Amino acid sequence: MTRTLLLPAVALLTAGLAAANDFDHFEKKIRPVLVEQCYSCHSDDAEAKKKLRGGLKLDTRDAVLAGGDTGPALVPGKPADSLLLKSLRYDGDAKMPPKGKLPDAVIKDFEAWVAAGAPDPRKAGGAAKTVGLDLEKGRQFWSYRPVANPPAPAVKDGAWPAGDLDRFVLAALEAKGLRPAPDADRATLARRLYFDLTGLPPTPEQTDAFVNDKSPDAYEKLVDKLLASPGFGERWGRHWLDLARYAESVTLRGLVFKEAWRYRAYVLDAFDRDVPFDRFVREQVAGDLLPAATPADRTRQVVATGYLMLGNNNLEEQDKRQLRMDVVDEQLDVIARGVLAQTVTCARCHDHKFDPIPTKDYYALAGILRNARALKDANVSQWLEVPLPAGPGVEEEVRKHDAAVADLQARIKAAKAVAAKNPPPADAPPAAKGVLALKDVPGIAVDDAKAMKVGAWTESKHSGSYIGAGYAHDDNGGKGEKSITFDPEIPATGKYEVWLAYSGGVSRADNVPVTVFSADGEKTVAVNMKQPPGIDGRFVSLGQFRFEKDGQSFVLISNEGTKGHVTADAVTFIPADQVPAPGAKAAPPAKGKDKEKPADAAAVAAMEAELKRLQAAAPKRPMAMSVVEEAKPEDLRVNVRGSVHNLGEPAPRGFLRVATVGPAPAMPADQSGRVQLADWLTSKDNPLTARVYANRAWHYLFGSGIVRTVDNFGTTGETPSHPELLDHLATRFVADGWSVKKLVRTIVTSRTYRQSAANSAAAAADPENRLFGRANRRRLEAEAIRDAVLSVSGKLAPAPDGPAFAPGLAADYGFKHTAVCRSVYLPVFRNALPELFEAFDFADPSVTTGKRTTSTVAPQALFMMNNPFAVEQAKHAAARLLAEAHPDDAARVVRAYRLTLGRAPTAGERAVAAKFLAAQPDPKAAWAALFQALFASADFRFIE
Amino acid sequence: MLLPLSRREWLTRTGCGFGSLALAGLASADAARAAPADPLAARPGHHKARAKRVIFLFMQGGVSHVDSYDHKPRLDADDGKQMPFHDSRMIANSGVRQASNRRVMKPLWKFARHGQSGMWASDLFPEVARHVDELCFVKSMHTEGVAHGPATLFLHCGSTTFVRPSMGSWVLYGLGTENANLPGFVSIAPSAGNGGPRNYGNAFLPAVYQGTPLGHAGGPAADATIKNLAGPLPPAAKQANFDLLRELHAEQLKRTPGDAELEAVANSYELAWRMQRNAPDVLDLAKESAETKALYGIGEKATDTYGRQCLMARRLCEAGVRFVQVTYGDNSANPAWDQHSNLPKHGDHAKAVDKPIAGLLADLKRRGLLEDTIVWWGGEFGRTPYAEGNGTGRDHNPTGFTVWCAGGGFKKGFAHGETDEFGGQAVTDKVHMHDLHATILHQLGLDHEKLTYRYAGRDFRLTDVHGHVVKGVLA
Repeated sequence: MTRTLLLPAVALLTAGLAAANDFDHFEKKIRPVLVEQCYSCHSDDAEAKKKLRGGLKLDTRDAVLAGGDTGPALVPGKPADSLLLKSLRYDGDAKMPPKGKLPDAVIKDFEAWVAAGAPDPRKAGGAAKTVGLDLEKGRQFWSYRPVANPPAPAVKDGAWPAGDLDRFVLAALEAKGLRPAPDADRATLARRLYFDLTGLPPTPEQTDAFVNDKSPDAYEKLVDKLLASPGFGERWGRHWLDLARYAESVTLRGLVFKEAWRYRAYVLDAFDRDVPFDRFVREQVAGDLLPAATPADRTRQVVATGYLMLGNNNLEEQDKRQLRMDVVDEQLDVIARGVLAQTVTCARCHDHKFDPIPTKDYYALAGILRNARALKDANVSQWLEVPLPAGPGVEEEVRKHDAAVADLQARIKAAKAVAAKNPPPADAPPAAKGVLALKDVPGIAVDDAKAMKVGAWTESKHSGSYIGAGYAHDDNGGKGEKSITFDPEIPATGKYEVWLAYSGGVSRADNVPVTVFSADGEKTVAVNMKQPPGIDGRFVSLGQFRFEKDGQSFVLISNEGTKGHVTADAVTFIPADQVPAPGAKAAPPAKGKDKEKPADAAAVAAMEAELKRLQAAAPKRPMAMSVVEEAKPEDLRVNVRGSVHNLGEPAPRGFLRVATVGPAPAMPADQSGRVQLADWLTSKDNPLTARVYANRAWHYLFGSGIVRTVDNFGTTGETPSHPELLDHLATRFVADGWSVKKLVRTIVTSRTYRQSAANSAAAAADPENRLFGRANRRRLEAEAIRDAVLSVSGKLAPAPDGPAFAPGLAADYGFKHTAVCRSVYLPVFRNALPELFEAFDFADPSVTTGKRTTSTVAPQALFMMNNPFAVEQAKHAAARLLAEAHPDDAARVVRAYRLTLGRAPTAGERAVAAKFLAAQPDPKAAWAALFQALFASADFRFIE
Repeated sequence: MLLPLSRREWLTRTGCGFGSLALAGLASADAARAAPADPLAARPGHHKARAKRVIFLFMQGGVSHVDSYDHKPRLDADDGKQMPFHDSRMIANSGVRQASNRRVMKPLWKFARHGQSGMWASDLFPEVARHVDELCFVKSMHTEGVAHGPATLFLHCGSTTFVRPSMGSWVLYGLGTENANLPGFVSIAPSAGNGGPRNYGNAFLPAVYQGTPLGHAGGPAADATIKNLAGPLPPAAKQANFDLLRELHAEQLKRTPGDAELEAVANSYELAWRMQRNAPDVLDLAKESAETKALYGIGEKATDTYGRQCLMARRLCEAGVRFVQVTYGDNSANPAWDQHSNLPKHGDHAKAVDKPIAGLLADLKRRGLLEDTIVWWGGEFGRTPYAEGNGTGRDHNPTGFTVWCAGGGFKKGFAHGETDEFGGQAVTDKVHMHDLHATILHQLGLDHEKLTYRYAGRDFRLTDVHGHVVKGVLA
């Protein structure tokens, strides 16, 4: 509209301008506006202040013509093609200036200026658009160079190294004139190794067994025993779950991922069985597309793609195109940071400011993932679940069931077709006759008399069959202006079936929009009121919905877009477990005139009820969260400035060019590219994947990586302290068949790992311990604190087989974590983390976390002093100790220290404990207090 | 005292334990400011502050601005007519900016001018209306997110989707706290729904900046307290256990003398112990006079809960807490102020908060606290000027709504910006939620463009790359 009207207006204006082709008009009318309204975001100066917006500068003629992210700002002489004018008119995505539209007169000045060829004296070209690090230069950056296999360096002290790993560490220490720390004592080593490999402390007996084992390979035997124990999967699987932002609910609405536990089980199993890391990554990115040898493999692989599904997405985002890209962005962030330690999502809106990652590479990767769907669109979108292969017996049952359902559906359809040919006479009384009192209606019923009406509704008793005080109709008029809302008091949160009672007949509308507002959003059902209601001749079911007490729970019937009378008699909300059996209260089927009529409304209703019952009793295939491939793979176009509504150049699917060594996998047009992405990620030539995981393993075992920014191997991350050692480990990791257990074994059997924390010379010269010339004292994670407490109290329960919450749980709000299994099995609810997790720096389950924060804050202290868990478990620990045979309290104190801190008490500590025990009247309470204090103490929280 | 450390030494030393983390993340411009090793130590902002603290009265769900403060005579004139509107939900769903016919719905409450300033207010909030001369209305608000979850997260954290620190965490990070014995950022009765803990979470900021929840939405105010502040043990046992722990720590420190990390843990218990002793006093309303309680509506059925929570907020602020949020809401995904149907129910909610808010304003003023306290009232968005689905309520409206601020250097008895003649969309002097955040930070002495934290390779801000300080609302 604007365009067609505008052109003549501009023509007139230009004609009226005496000197439009010199700079007068520009100087008087245009420049001041640009300076005042635009320069703060669109000029060299703005760029210098980092305030440049949209890549657009308006402070020179060249810059104006070059334009910004969306193209040239204007085309001289062509107002209709000039984005600048469109923006000024507030006539598109960009509305400028953002603070408010300029007066029409000013906009007309601009139109005239452009129409006159946009004369503009401003010279000196603006600087070229900023781009990230150039790709070729980028390839020289350490992390993008191919992984090398450097020889181990020569060292002066040839006796110290236990292997090549140690030579790299020792050479660096010797270069600084330092010596490594002596080996830690065996008890310290046992505690370190047990926690690092299994997440649990050794019992005093286990420590003694190792301390007293005189065989030369005692240490290696212990390592192998722990690597083979289920504790390894529980510990190292949990590390991966941090990277996979593993959770069992989504923050908004607290909706529970009831199948997510399968992914957790898959991860733990993969670490237990030492599934090669490259395969592990491939399965998570594209397991659903990879060939599977057996149904069990197929199951594992489909479950693995849960990795792509666990994002804490904003399912309520109403702009579903935006949501789709947000999901892709989230997946990409998790893969890129977790597997590659790259911050690619910076490139969603602009070329990466620091790293050689152009926006086009981002959309090349995003295009691959966008070909897999994770959500089904709805007001509150739903994540997808797919059936897993079931056993042969179940498959047969499923086949039979499907056939029965199809048969019944066909019969219902046929019966309805007959009924449609024999419509009941106009306004004929429906099957049920007479007046039904509201109190006789099942559920929480609202009569139309109590409903809120908008517009003129007529109350009627004409049909003679209704609930309560008659029914309402819209007089077949005022279409779109009338509505009637039934709003009951829901007594308790739960699932309800909603029935609508109406007065049917041929004069009625056949497409009445009835909207149910429930805790899960709103759903509109079109009701055909020409048909008599199917249930008892009075009601139709609108479906089952979840309502919350005090939450939104109402049914709105509108007459919008209807032809024919819209009627409303009552609405009832029946608790799902109290829905009357079909026909239980049904009136006898009405006698039709035609005896041969094969099925009437009541019979159809009965069949529909049977269908519902059949469907509810369907044999269950297990389900898993997984993506589903789009039928037709596509490339994306660059979303300019990250906006899904502003599409730029096409971005053919591909990979990060800077991290591609040699030819990239070919991208077949008929495939999504996910298999190729998996191939590229796990190629032995990928310079990042092996380095990143080797560094992570080091970080988990030393508390600090060779690259300390474990999730960022880009230019804003840190550089490796021992680049050659990192390459050595990465090379070896790949050569060992990507075996995580072998990688861990290599590290923990080194002398470097076995050092003690005491090395004053190294501590003085290298306070941050970048050279690894001593052991770091490390913090126990939340899970290890909890599991250690439970193992000391003797209450640790075995792992649950499935999720650790009740099957029907719909929302995570206020979930109480009462299970006493190992922490890795507690449900990770984003709105209801176990309190101990929250207090002790558990990984934020919404984002990839390679390195947990370590805080020391008062809420941790309050937890240990006052939380019932701390108090109760201390009591159990005390009871357990008191039940054991010990000669005296002194022996018990030693035992308590060894159980909790893995060491014997010092003389001072014995004295403190003895004094305390002597002063307490009740020994049970005294021992409980001593255990609680030991759990609370600083030493319990650290491993050395 | 068994720990031979002065407070000064403690502050310096614990810096190695948890302060270093905070320091490592501070952008260089802020490094000097954060020089005190205690990451919670009170410190000046980037420029002179007009306010020291914030009380945010969160009306969860979205109060109808056209029924409360945004007076639009056209709604009465055209009541019941079908007219074209740009409905946010429809635009978001379809991706097409297209008008659709909607039934205009007049306000259910009567508007009048109030106070010396003649500010418009309806009789939805009659008590607060007596204080309009203290209020600065922003009537041209707009924000992101059409549904509660996204918009609520945006209101608190400046992002509809991503995990970002809450505004209170940013403020605490920027300014520290004035009372080391209390949490610096408190959220009273937060809702579990619509982002739940993320709305008072520290996200990637160090954990010391996390918000502390007191109770939960819909719960009784009397139960609202800090987690684990009290435990099952009797006081005497607690004292004995604490003394024992002190002695154990003293022995553990002897094994590695001068160990900063061990000392940090030991000292976290000292702080917890002091908090355990001080916080209950601050939260205990029994010490307040009957007159003060009555001022807040405490003891009256409708207003007792929110009245207690508002009074608690005043006591916390008085004690030096930097950021206090008081939520009026519900603990589920469907919040209180959310009348998609049955708009008259707005009246019940208004009744519950009106007197407590008026009482809070009066009480802050007479104590001289309003001068340097920003009281911010508002929801995550407003409501449509037309009926939803032709029914009896109004749908969400993120494109135009009203909030007000009082105290803290905001203009008094003033209205900034306008919506269109129906109250549908902000049109004049528009203020985005990012702008409001920037402005509140500005009054606290913080420059929203300089208050940054480096995470995952880049500097993050509450206002992302947006936001302008709205000078027009500042006195």
